[in-house]
Amino acid sequence: MTVAAGIGYALLALGPSLSLFVSVISKKPFLILTLLSSTLVWLISLIVLSGVWRAFLPLKTTAWWPYGILILSSVGFQEGLRIVIWRVYKRLEDMLDAFADKVSKPRLFLTDKMQIALAAGLGHGVAHAVFFCLSLLTPAFGPATFYVEKCSQLPFFLISSIIALAFAIIHTFSMVIAFNGYEEKNRVQQLFVPIVHLVAGILTLINLASGGCIVGIPLLYFMAMLTLMYCGKMVLRRLTENQRSQ
Amino acid sequence: MDRNPRPTSILNSLGEEIIRIITPVSICMLLVVILVSILNDDSSSASNLSSSMTTIATMAYSEDSSDSIGDKLKGALLNSLVFVGVITVVTFILVLLFYYRCTKFLKYYMGFSAFLVLGFMGGEIALFLIQDFSFPIDCFSFVLVLFNSTVVGVLAVFMSKMAIFLTQAYLVVIGMLVAYWFTLLPEWTTWVLLVAMALYDLAAVLLPGGPLRLLVELAISRDEDIPALVYEARPVTYNDSVPRGSVIQRRVWRDRSNIGSEGDEIANSGSNPNLNANSGLNSSSTVGTFLHVGSDQNERNLVHAEEGRVSGGDSQLTAPLIERRISVQMHLQEDAASGENLALEGIGLGSSGAIKLGLGDFIFYSVLVGRAAMYDFMTVYACYLAIIAGLGITLVLLAFYQKALPALPFSVMLGVLFYLLTRLLLEVFIVQCSVHLLMF
Repeated sequence: MTVAAGIGYALLALGPSLSLFVSVISKKPFLILTLLSSTLVWLISLIVLSGVWRAFLPLKTTAWWPYGILILSSVGFQEGLRIVIWRVYKRLEDMLDAFADKVSKPRLFLTDKMQIALAAGLGHGVAHAVFFCLSLLTPAFGPATFYVEKCSQLPFFLISSIIALAFAIIHTFSMVIAFNGYEEKNRVQQLFVPIVHLVAGILTLINLASGGCIVGIPLLYFMAMLTLMYCGKMVLRRLTENQRSQ
Repeated sequence: MDRNPRPTSILNSLGEEIIRIITPVSICMLLVVILVSILNDDSSSASNLSSSMTTIATMAYSEDSSDSIGDKLKGALLNSLVFVGVITVVTFILVLLFYYRCTKFLKYYMGFSAFLVLGFMGGEIALFLIQDFSFPIDCFSFVLVLFNSTVVGVLAVFMSKMAIFLTQAYLVVIGMLVAYWFTLLPEWTTWVLLVAMALYDLAAVLLPGGPLRLLVELAISRDEDIPALVYEARPVTYNDSVPRGSVIQRRVWRDRSNIGSEGDEIANSGSNPNLNANSGLNSSSTVGTFLHVGSDQNERNLVHAEEGRVSGGDSQLTAPLIERRISVQMHLQEDAASGENLALEGIGLGSSGAIKLGLGDFIFYSVLVGRAAMYDFMTVYACYLAIIAGLGITLVLLAFYQKALPALPFSVMLGVLFYLLTRLLLEVFIVQCSVHLLMF
C-alpha cells in the first residue's frame, strides 16, 4: 500500500529498537559490533533450524501439533545458543579486562556489562524483526495489500509488525536478564528467560485458530510488558546495590 | 556532580576504527540496493540496457534465460575465465609501469578514469532516474550540474587538500556507480565472476609469483606507496593519557627492519596518487585485494617492533610507556575498465591512525549485495551480515598473521554461501511460519 505504508510498517516493528540504537548503542562502537555479531548469530541459528526443518516443509496439515513441535525445537535451540553466547561473552570479558589493565584504564563497569547485554539482546530483537517482518514487506511498498484468512481484521503486514515489535522487546530485555542471572547464579532469572521465550512462542500458536489473533496478540504484549518490568526491577536493584557499595 | 569525574571506560572508544570503515561500506551497499530496487523494475529504462550490454565480462557467452543450467554454468565459467585473464594481464602491466616509475602517468590515468566514471556512468544513471521519475529538468542545467560535480569529484579524489568528508563521499559515489554497472551483468555470470575474483585475489596475493605480491614488495623495497584509489576514514583522536605525536612505526614482514624516511607522510592517503582507470561504459572492474601489514622504522626510533602490540584495526590505544603504532596496510588492487585500466587501492592504518580502505572492496561487496537485492530483501540482509562478518574475520586474521592477506575471499565466500542458504532453506521456513503468524 504505497511507500508510506511500507515505511510505516517497518518503523512500527523497529521503532523502539531504532531509538534504543540511536540513543545508547551508536555512541559506543564496541556495542555496534556486539549488535552486528549477535544479529549474525541469530541468523545462523535460523539457517540451521530451517536446514533441519526443510525436509518437512511446507507443512500441509492443519493440525496444530506439527507447528507446536516446530516452535518448541526452535525455541529450545535458540535458548541453548544463549548459553553458548554467555560463555563466549565471559571469555570476551576477561580479554577486555586484561586489555584495560594493560592500558591502565578501569575495568568494565557494571553499566558497561549491562550495555553489552542490551546490545546483544537488541541484536536478537532486530534480527527477529528484520527476518520475520521486514523481509516480507516488499509487496507492501506496492499498490495493494494482503490479508490472512485466519485473522482478517487487519492487513497481514500490520499484524506481523505488531508481533515483531513484541518479540523485539522480549528478546532485547531477556538477554539482559539472562546475563545477569548467569553472572549472579540466580536460578529464577536463569529460568525466567527460556520460559518467557517458550510461552511467547506457544502463544503465537493461538494465531492458527480462526480469529485467534485477537486473543493471542494482547497476551503476547502482556509477556513483553512482564519481561520489561522484570528487567527494569532487576536493573534498578543492581544499580542501587552497586551505588551503595561504592 | 562528582568531585572526581569518572575515568572513561575502555568501552567508549574500543573498536572505533572498525566502525569507521564499516559505516561507509554499509552506506555504499545501501545506495546500491536502493538504486537496484528503483531502477530494475521491468518497466524502467535500465532493464533495456542490461540485456544488450556487451562488455569484457560477457564476451565469451551471453546468457539467455532459456538456456539449461549446465549451459549457463559453462558459459558463466568461460566469461569469468576471460575476465580474470584480462585482469591478470593488466595487473602485470601495472607492476611493470610501477617498476619503471611511471607514477605520473598512472596518476593522470586515475584522474581521467574518475572523470569518466562520475561523468558518463553517473550521468547515465542520473538520466535513468530522471526518466523514471519524470523529473523536470532541462538539458543545459543538467549538463552544468553534472560537469561541475564531476570536476569537483576528480579534484576531491586527486588532490589531498580537499575536505576529507568530500573525498570520502566522492569515493563512495564512485564505488556505488561502478558496482551498479556490474549488477547489470547476467545473473550466473555475476556470481561465478565474484567467486572467480575472490580466488584470483587469493592467488595473486599469496602465491610467490602473484602480481599483487610483487607490487607490494616493490612498494616496500622502495618505501613508496602504490598509487591507488583509497578511502581514508577520519583519523581517530584520543584524549587519553597517551601523548600523541608518538613515533610511528611501520614494520615490514616482521623480520626485516628498514629505516624509513619520510614514510609517515606518504602513508596518508592524501598523498597517495590515485590510480584508477576506467575507459568508459563498457567497463569491467576487477579487484584483487589483499591485506598487508607493513611497517617501517622511523629514523628517530630504532627500536625493533617485535613485541609491540598489534593494533590490527581493533584499537589504537597504546600502553602509556610504549608509544608505537603498528600500521596495518592492506592493499586492494582494483582494475576498472575494459582492459587497460587498473586501479590500485590500499587499506591501511596510516600514520595518523586512520584506516584506509581501497575502493575495490566497496565495489565487489556492493555488487554481491546488489545482486542479492535483485532476488529478495531477505537475501540482502543475510548477505550484508555475511560480508560484515567476513570483513571482521579478515581484520582479525590480519592482526594475527601480520602479513599480506587477501581481503576479498572471506566476505565473498561467506556472502555467496549465505545467499544460497537463504534462498534455498531460509525463505521457505520463514514464509511458512509468517503466513501462519507463528513467530519465535
